[in-house]
Amino acid sequence: MAEQGHSGGIAEHLQYWSYSFDDSNPFMQIHLDTMLLTVGIATGLILFSLYVRSRLVAGAPTGIQNFMESVIDFINQTVKDNFPVHNPLVAPLAMTIFIFVLLCNSLDILPAYLMHHVAGMFGLHTFRQVPTNDLNLPVAMALSVFILVLYYEFKLKPGHFLKELLLQPFAALLLDSKNPVVKILGVILIPLNLTLKLVEELAKPLSLSFRLFGNMFAGEVIFLLIASLLLASNLESIMSVGGFVSQLAGLAVGVGWSLFHMFIGLLQAFIFMILSVVYLSIAHQPAEH
Amino acid sequence: MSIDLTFIAQIIVFILMVTVLWKLLYGPLNDAMEARTAKIVAGLAAAEAGVEAKEKAAAEIEAQLEEARAKAHEIVTSAEQRAAEINEEAINKARGEAEQILDSAREEIGAEAQRARQSLRQEVADIAMLAAERVIDAELDAKRHSKLIEGIVKQGFDAA
Repeated sequence: MAEQGHSGGIAEHLQYWSYSFDDSNPFMQIHLDTMLLTVGIATGLILFSLYVRSRLVAGAPTGIQNFMESVIDFINQTVKDNFPVHNPLVAPLAMTIFIFVLLCNSLDILPAYLMHHVAGMFGLHTFRQVPTNDLNLPVAMALSVFILVLYYEFKLKPGHFLKELLLQPFAALLLDSKNPVVKILGVILIPLNLTLKLVEELAKPLSLSFRLFGNMFAGEVIFLLIASLLLASNLESIMSVGGFVSQLAGLAVGVGWSLFHMFIGLLQAFIFMILSVVYLSIAHQPAEH
Repeated sequence: MSIDLTFIAQIIVFILMVTVLWKLLYGPLNDAMEARTAKIVAGLAAAEAGVEAKEKAAAEIEAQLEEARAKAHEIVTSAEQRAAEINEEAINKARGEAEQILDSAREEIGAEAQRARQSLRQEVADIAMLAAERVIDAELDAKRHSKLIEGIVKQGFDAA
């Protein structure tokens, strides 16, 4: 019974609450649920920051300041372990990524249909409750990090980066060989090098964003599956023996998956942060000669 | 599951969030932590300097005590020496005075004895004269024979 009650629901729950500026162009729409939640989280974080800042003490920290200091200390340590030079931007960036992604992922702890039903009360039929499930958010963050990486690559070692882009992995053919034929071969191989290097570079933001998106999306789909397969949709099915057992099993599996998924959320936030730091750190590594 | 305007909006949200959280959350907390670290480092250094200063002061006190002890010992030694000298002087002086007193007493005794001897001699001569007058009667001239008698008496005393 339950399956029938929610079978159409899974696809329905994976729809965004969106507003389209131009129906003919799929790019010209905006996901209002993602925007609402991310702006909400961002506003909450800013208010929280103002609150923490107003209660800062110079002496021994207590309570929330103590907690935030340990978070910042952890991030500072991570950045320090990975970074060859000091860049004041990296630690705040890493902190923002970690806290923001963690908070977005943590919204998954809310019951699968809760946001949907709350939105339903306001007359909305679709509402996605985890912003990191929206590919736009991970890609936006990964691309921002990638652009920053490119900026530092060009700023710190422009020649080296161009050389890598055009000549790797066959640089020796053009640069070290004295044979003109081999040199010509090196020039011919430049497009191949470029292609290989571009794939290598583009894989970074792609893997960074799809890793987060895939994990969180799969997590939510599993939540919806648990709910649609095991949870009853009406009182009658709960009252039956099979329905009751199914409810208990659904609760147990749901709680188990929630705990596991929370762990995944934390892990993904950490992975996104540490990979961003590592990519930036590679851009800061001195050029090898 | 498509890329759309949300992507652009999310980039803006993300960049704004990084900027604002840097200024409002990371900056103040990191500054506070760094200030505290610096304070703790300075405090530890000050504590170490304090311990060093204490050790130095203790060593100085010990040295001063040692010096004072040596000085006190010197003073006591010289005082003892001086006392011994004074004692010696006093004894010597007393001894000299006693000697002097004895000498003068001896001289006085000698003079007294001389005087006594003189007067005794005179008295004996007088008695002898009287006796002789009585014995040889009044005819004997006292003035004429006194010289003789005195000589006899003196002779007798000297013999005695």
